[in-house]
Amino acid sequence: MNGRPEAVRFVPGQPDMWAFVLFEGFVFTAYFTAYVFSRARSPGLFLQSQAHLDLRVGVFNTLVLLASSWSVARCVQAAREGGYRAATRNAFLTMSFGFGFLVSKLREWVVAIEHGFTFTADEFSSFYYFLTGIHFLHLLIGFVALAVAVHQLRSPAPHSQEIVETCATYWHTIDFLWVLIFALLYVMR
Amino acid sequence: MNDGKRELWIGWWTLVVFYNVYGLLFFVVTRTQPPPEPSLTPAQVVQWFAERRHGLIYGYAFVFIVGGATAIMNATLAYSIRRMSVSRAFAYSYLVIYALATLPGMLIMGVACTVGAMRPDRDPALMSWIYDFAFLSFEGTMGVFLIGSLVWMVAVLLDENGVFPKWFGYLNLCNALTEVVVAPAWIFKNGAFAWNGTIAWWINMGVFVTYTIVFLTLLRRMILREDFGTGALP
Amino acid sequence: MNSGAEKRLMLVWLALSAITLAQLGIGSVGAQAGLAPAAIAASAIGIALIKVRIIIREFMEVRHAPVLLCRLTDLWVVLTGVMLLGGHLAGTAFPKR
Repeated sequence: MNGRPEAVRFVPGQPDMWAFVLFEGFVFTAYFTAYVFSRARSPGLFLQSQAHLDLRVGVFNTLVLLASSWSVARCVQAAREGGYRAATRNAFLTMSFGFGFLVSKLREWVVAIEHGFTFTADEFSSFYYFLTGIHFLHLLIGFVALAVAVHQLRSPAPHSQEIVETCATYWHTIDFLWVLIFALLYVMR
Repeated sequence: MNDGKRELWIGWWTLVVFYNVYGLLFFVVTRTQPPPEPSLTPAQVVQWFAERRHGLIYGYAFVFIVGGATAIMNATLAYSIRRMSVSRAFAYSYLVIYALATLPGMLIMGVACTVGAMRPDRDPALMSWIYDFAFLSFEGTMGVFLIGSLVWMVAVLLDENGVFPKWFGYLNLCNALTEVVVAPAWIFKNGAFAWNGTIAWWINMGVFVTYTIVFLTLLRRMILREDFGTGALP
Repeated sequence: MNSGAEKRLMLVWLALSAITLAQLGIGSVGAQAGLAPAAIAASAIGIALIKVRIIIREFMEVRHAPVLLCRLTDLWVVLTGVMLLGGHLAGTAFPKR
């Protein structure tokens, strides 16, 4: 099977996962709106607190997750054409990028806390830890999704392309949610 | 006419009626929801109890009387898990977890509020303690609900009998995560993460209400489809 | 692997990374240029949503999906933009202290 011709439209992975993506997307939009509203009410306070964040770390985090989305997209395409070894390699590559993000984020938190930028320091910091924290939790679940995908790819046929695509869809969600978090916490100032 | 589903329908209607009564009791009669601010002074707390004295006492007295209905509700939910192709252990764990859940989810708050309402002339500092205890136990507890949602989620995702659609499994994940979102309520006395905050309460409630309406609808569909077999549900 | 598709994915990744690197400069420039907070907010949100839509359409393959899914994801992107900008404007209308 050489992949699908352009004309045929298909839903990548289970439509069920898309329902989750959209719902979770709306929930996060609600969280982001609460953040933006609070920020606009006390711009001075937020701006001052945002100085604790290093934009370069945020950029690095974003680049790493974008790369992970790229590798998992390549994984899906390889699997679609029967290249299971290449697909598995890309899945592990995705895990490595994810792990890189994890380590970077943990380090950022530890350093920040050492400097007194804690969860309860001020309104901005509480939003910062909440948003990055809940995102981190989603990332951890992402590793479970990737493990499920790898299991599909490595087990003897029949491989479920649908499950691999479903796991990839979940992973991309982690990426695009981070893109928004990055913009709101690190860039917008 | 009895097609063997009579008991299931009794269970389902108990769920529907109970959730509506529960909503009325908490939001209208006792007016303990939406929750008040954690930052009230002891004097304001005394005032809060005084304003709701009768609603609290009679409202929660009623909750204590009908509270046993949760047994029927949890049994109905556990039944849906038993109908799945997964191990019975899932249904049993769910039953145990949610039986325990009635404590933080309803009873402790009821007891605390009626204790507070019973003697209006109690020391304000004690009233403040009762107030914190009531709302933290109700809004801030998540362990049981979090694990319970995850149990149901895994069961739904592994199920081969198609009792529930897979997206409901993922919705359980959303519900489980909202339990984590409530956790900061133990720390903050105001703002979005306090027990009455935009994020810890309002958005959370939005997710929970959606989740409840969805599972009630899906349970109804399950009962309609039920064939009392052990294979895939038609 | 279909090299056309492979090349497209790489280009998408490069474009997204380039925009991200550009944001390194924007953050500091905006503040120095004395732009109105609403403009800074709108541009940060706008750029983010462009990236998000690219991720959804290219990486998540919504480009090839049935029209309903395209519409739903676009709806979410638009709704997010509207709510975030609305939230910002509402917040400035009710300042604290």
